[in-house]
Amino acid sequence: MRTILTTLGTGRARSLRAALTALLAAAVAVGAPFYFAPFQVFQLTMVLLYAVALAGLNLLVGFGGQISLGHGAFFAAGAYTAAVMLDRYDSAHLATLPVAAAGCFLLGLGFGVPALRLRGLYLALVTLSFAVFLPPLLKRLEPVTGGSMGLTVDKLQPPAWSGLAEDQWMYLVVLAVTAVALLLARNLLRSRVGRALLALRDDESAAEVMGVRLSLHKTLAFAWSAMFAGVAGCLYTWVIGFVSPDSFSFVLSITLLAGLVVGGLASLYGPLLGAAFVMYVPSVAQDVSDAAPGVVFGLLIIAVMFVAPTGLAGLAGRARDAATRRLTRTAPAAGRTPEPAPTTAPAADPAPADAEPVGAPPRTEKE
Amino acid sequence: MSEPTTTAPTEAGASAEPDFLKVSGLHAGYGQARVLQGLDFTVARGEVCAILGPNGAGKTTTMRALSGMVRGQGSVTLNGTELLGRSPEQAARLGVAHVPEGRGTFNDLTVEENLRVGAHVRTGRWRRGRAERAVVAADLERIYDYFPKLRDRSRQTAGSLSGGEQQMLAIGRALMLRPSLLLLDEPSLGLAPLVTRELFEIVRAVNEEERTTVVVVEQNAQLALDVAHRAHVLEAGRLVLSGPAAEIREDGQVAEVYLGVSVRAGKNG
Repeated sequence: MRTILTTLGTGRARSLRAALTALLAAAVAVGAPFYFAPFQVFQLTMVLLYAVALAGLNLLVGFGGQISLGHGAFFAAGAYTAAVMLDRYDSAHLATLPVAAAGCFLLGLGFGVPALRLRGLYLALVTLSFAVFLPPLLKRLEPVTGGSMGLTVDKLQPPAWSGLAEDQWMYLVVLAVTAVALLLARNLLRSRVGRALLALRDDESAAEVMGVRLSLHKTLAFAWSAMFAGVAGCLYTWVIGFVSPDSFSFVLSITLLAGLVVGGLASLYGPLLGAAFVMYVPSVAQDVSDAAPGVVFGLLIIAVMFVAPTGLAGLAGRARDAATRRLTRTAPAAGRTPEPAPTTAPAADPAPADAEPVGAPPRTEKE
Repeated sequence: MSEPTTTAPTEAGASAEPDFLKVSGLHAGYGQARVLQGLDFTVARGEVCAILGPNGAGKTTTMRALSGMVRGQGSVTLNGTELLGRSPEQAARLGVAHVPEGRGTFNDLTVEENLRVGAHVRTGRWRRGRAERAVVAADLERIYDYFPKLRDRSRQTAGSLSGGEQQMLAIGRALMLRPSLLLLDEPSLGLAPLVTRELFEIVRAVNEEERTTVVVVEQNAQLALDVAHRAHVLEAGRLVLSGPAAEIREDGQVAEVYLGVSVRAGKNG
């Protein structure tokens, strides 16, 4: 048993396993639209699109240690950029993506400036104000945004050569964008900039003494994060074909943050789990109680926080750690630990907090 | 960026540049509390300088003023460049590496990532590339040679290290900056005497091999004086005693008065 575990633990075996897992995941992801019904494919598309927004929020909150209750506004900005371009200028769908991304990056850069001075609750309040003030602004700018009626634009249409249905084509395009976005987020975190960001979260003054520019990296974190939210918003317009101020109320911002926390802060695949939560739980809650899906949603969030404080991603990591620990412990069992029969412990036994998954215990801000 | 290895090897403590770090009339404090009341001292290039003194004497504040973490008045020049009025990040770019009191390791990052943050200022955006990566890799090896324990744990998170290993990591991270001035604030804090001795031996080796100028603040006067070439004793924000480390070590009476420890008897304070 032990030799198997050590062989599995070697670097080459690990990278081989990672490659196989990635290949399998890619196959499942690409095959999904050909297996599920159109409405389910649409739901999966929405999960992917939310995952992009959550990955961006994760950069800021999970890895940057800042907080934003205003990411719905960046999402809306991306969505409206795409909608206005499609509506007024007849742009190609693909052309709207870089414009939404760049626009939201700049917007985030601008809104990142107050983040330098504020932290914790104060930053949360200021960012919340973006989310609150955007819908009325969109209603006022009627000539451009269509006011409270919103804008109806063409959805993304499959090219004739593909022979795919609309939902399948949208899913595949969104899947491609999501994959690129998630890879970008991952590589960003492993780069010099990402390390600087993590260092600032862990110990601001020590990072500064090592030559990390506090203002630059905190503002950049906001900008990158807003860019991801904007891309997600742009995809939203492609998929839904309709934007209105009421689609982007401040509740969206809060839902995004809740989804991220539930999925797992500072985890690389937490955004995907969180996006599934954001997409499916409200509709399930609606089935349970038509009157108050909000209450059910809130109770579920509390339950997840209580059972898995590191989010769903953390739960998976902890279960895996508990399993490996049991395996390694039973192998050299003779005469080492006087612990009473660890093998009889139930599988769901919550592992001690010392074994955290990717990254860190959730920390939104430090004072 | 000045490279410590390019300076001509000179006799320790008898450097050709006696004014490499020149502190004159340094005042600093926090808000209303004035901690430093006008310090004057110099550190020669390649020297290890110990700053000793009782609690609250202003040792840590001196270090913080040198690295820009607190604002100071007066003048501090490193190799002729004024350091006061610069941010910590600018000071780091000028070659000042500060190992803060309490280590300040990035506990969610791995050991290697911590070290790479140390190379942050040397790996600017436009200098990335194969050559730069090779240099950083070579520097990592150099650090791992000084601290073999860090090599074994390079993929562990810093938070999982012992106190001594974290201190080693903090020093290693500072060395990744290729500093011309290394500031060590209480490296022995909370560590076992044996571990502390090992750390100081490494600091001595770094100083001898890299010719890095070191300023070390230490409660454990005995240990600091063993490694240092010169020492300054602070009391209530003023220098009360300066001289070659050997002299201060021998001058048991003076040390006893100002440091509250019997240095000669070898008692660790």
